[in-house]
Amino acid sequence: MRRRFLVGAAASVFGLAAAAFAHHSLAATYESDKEVKLDGKIAEILLRNPHSFLQIDAPDETGAMQRWSLEWRSSGQLGQQGIKRDTLKIGDEVEITMNPSRTAADHRGALKTLHRKSDGFGWGTRPGETID
Amino acid sequence: MSKVRLVPILAAALLARWPVSGQGAPALDLTDFSGVWEEVIHEDSYERSGGPPLGDYQGIPLNDAGRMKADSHDHSEWSLPEFQCRPHSAPYQWRALGSVRFWNEVDPIGRDLTAIHVEYLRSLDRVIYMDGRPHPPEWAPHSWSGFSTGVWQGNTLIVTTTHIKGSYLRRNGASFSDKATMMEYIDRHGDILVIAMILTDPVWLEEPLIQTTNYHLNLHTALTYYPCTVSEENISKAIPHFLPGETQQLKDAAGWIPIQAARGGAASTRPEYRLQLKQGGGNTMEPARMPANAKVSPSVLAALPKPSNDEIHVMPVQGNVYMLIGAGGNIAASIGKDGILLVDSGKAEMANKVLQTVLQLATSVAASPAPNKCLGMHCPDSPYRWSSPSLAAIIASPAPPKPVRYILNTSADPDHAGGNGRLSELPSDTKILGVTFPPVGVAPSATIIAHENVLTRMSASVGKDKTAAPSADWPTDSYRDASYKLSEFFNGEGVQMFYEPAAHTDGDSLVFFRYSDVIAAGDILRTDSYPVIDLEKGGSLNGVLDGLNHILDVAIPEFRSQGGTLIIPGHGRLCDTGDVANYRNMVAIIRDRIQALIKKGMTLEQVKAAKPTMDYDGLYGSTTGEWTTDKFIEAAYKSLKK
Repeated sequence: MRRRFLVGAAASVFGLAAAAFAHHSLAATYESDKEVKLDGKIAEILLRNPHSFLQIDAPDETGAMQRWSLEWRSSGQLGQQGIKRDTLKIGDEVEITMNPSRTAADHRGALKTLHRKSDGFGWGTRPGETID
Repeated sequence: MSKVRLVPILAAALLARWPVSGQGAPALDLTDFSGVWEEVIHEDSYERSGGPPLGDYQGIPLNDAGRMKADSHDHSEWSLPEFQCRPHSAPYQWRALGSVRFWNEVDPIGRDLTAIHVEYLRSLDRVIYMDGRPHPPEWAPHSWSGFSTGVWQGNTLIVTTTHIKGSYLRRNGASFSDKATMMEYIDRHGDILVIAMILTDPVWLEEPLIQTTNYHLNLHTALTYYPCTVSEENISKAIPHFLPGETQQLKDAAGWIPIQAARGGAASTRPEYRLQLKQGGGNTMEPARMPANAKVSPSVLAALPKPSNDEIHVMPVQGNVYMLIGAGGNIAASIGKDGILLVDSGKAEMANKVLQTVLQLATSVAASPAPNKCLGMHCPDSPYRWSSPSLAAIIASPAPPKPVRYILNTSADPDHAGGNGRLSELPSDTKILGVTFPPVGVAPSATIIAHENVLTRMSASVGKDKTAAPSADWPTDSYRDASYKLSEFFNGEGVQMFYEPAAHTDGDSLVFFRYSDVIAAGDILRTDSYPVIDLEKGGSLNGVLDGLNHILDVAIPEFRSQGGTLIIPGHGRLCDTGDVANYRNMVAIIRDRIQALIKKGMTLEQVKAAKPTMDYDGLYGSTTGEWTTDKFIEAAYKSLKK
């Protein structure tokens, strides 16, 4: 009982801290009930407030190469999770999953999980590794 | 109660009544709000969490136009470069995340409270003027915070706000317009702050939106640094929005709450609405009960000075540049040591008044003696050398104003170029104008510069021995490339013209004052109507859009999508990038809607019947005058059919 309360309290505090940096409404921007998988290379890393962005070059469902913009947590929040400016590098081959944009032609999404092929580095599977 | 206990109580009461100094502090109605206040986050968690779903407008009294505007909202709009660092507007801010800091600005001598400043985590410093100043005229720029004045009613601070940029009421597209005004009633109850907001918007709300919000005082916190940088958040370059019928709002709202409630409207704001829904009722409830003084806000708006047909108004913009309102089209005037440069000249019949205004302005700005800042016989700045420069400055009379040297035309329209002839000549009727001029012959007539298509249009024959415009109005110089730069600085800065092909007409120019950081946009931008697309003179809807995007390419905001480069529209109020972005988005959205209807094979009449502009008609539409909504739709339709 006591342990569950603490976990709940911690989650609540964490949620508030995260929300303090929320900018636009994620629910309004992305299809939260859909998930898309992409396999590509990192093209740009934008660590910033209120949300960071990763851009990758990856093929779409027709096989055509596209630039995708993936929304991520704020740079401060990522830093607290150990992700620094040199954690990822341009050209890293990654597999990602994302909630896609409501407008498919935008080629953007909210990052759910990231997996780097070279060393297995990952984000999105541990507690707190979500954007909100 | 013993005497021993009574004495200190009486003493305390006396001390509280009379200051120890005996100087007598004035009795104050005001409450001190100074300090940092934290939001009561659970109170409005719906607004303060990750964000509301699309399509849920419950509790917002949207009218049909407001609902259409909200339904077209694609949230990727927030990733437009102009909006990434956009702050919450004043009407939304109270329900946003983050603390708020109040601090008082006090006159150091009189100790009067001159202003109350309100700062939020991610927003601008909002000033509530307490010194009794009036609200600015209608043509003054709008800001995300608006222009606020405050008065005390007992311990309640009553704030009236006008000049707010249109923005969101909820982070899912429910919005208020540029024409909204706001009243706030701010009370402090110990460590609790209560803000009651009443937002009136004749464009997108069917009745005022009333919200109350609480904050609590925190003595151990502070606002933090909150940087924002613009980057490429969205790969797409399109203006995000959903077409009517393709909106995702209804899909999202369904299953969340009853769809009827999600559609918002005045009835959905009432506590008893849920019960009424269960009983099968709808939008039939009585209007909200309004405080007696809640209508102050619209009357303030109605009282703002408005442009009149027979008067020229001057608004200092920044640097050398002034905006002249009332001559037909707006005029930009650069006033300084080199003389006068005008962008456009207004209507012919207003030319004398324009001339009188700019010459008086030149006298007060550039020709009047100024206090000497360099003292001593050998002051290097002194033109008098051995004489006393300060004495010379004091005894000097005003120098005559220098004349109009240049007129740059943004188009050939008579309300923009009709005064060319009169204003480019040195005035001889000095008694009428009441100012002193250099003798005739000392200075040449002004050079009139425009794109070559302006000269072609103005000099075109329209009958035997008759041209479209009098020859005195024609440009004396023209250019034909993508841009044209004045050959040398004028009033200390470079001035550049950009050609905008096939926009309002086929001869449009933007004029950029590169040091003052002001763009005169001509009729590519106007805040009082839909863009005027003169098809007969080579205009096009997409050309207007390109011109608006060009303005946004050149302009840089000062901070948080506001200020910085200022843009003088062809008609209407002074703008900045945020305003141009709002207008550009409107044009792009309507363009896309009409284009989609054309693709469906609709005729012009069918397109008009589909009302593709309905949400924006309250801002830019008209059923009378020269440029009605019907004419705009017709021009847009024909332009897109080409």
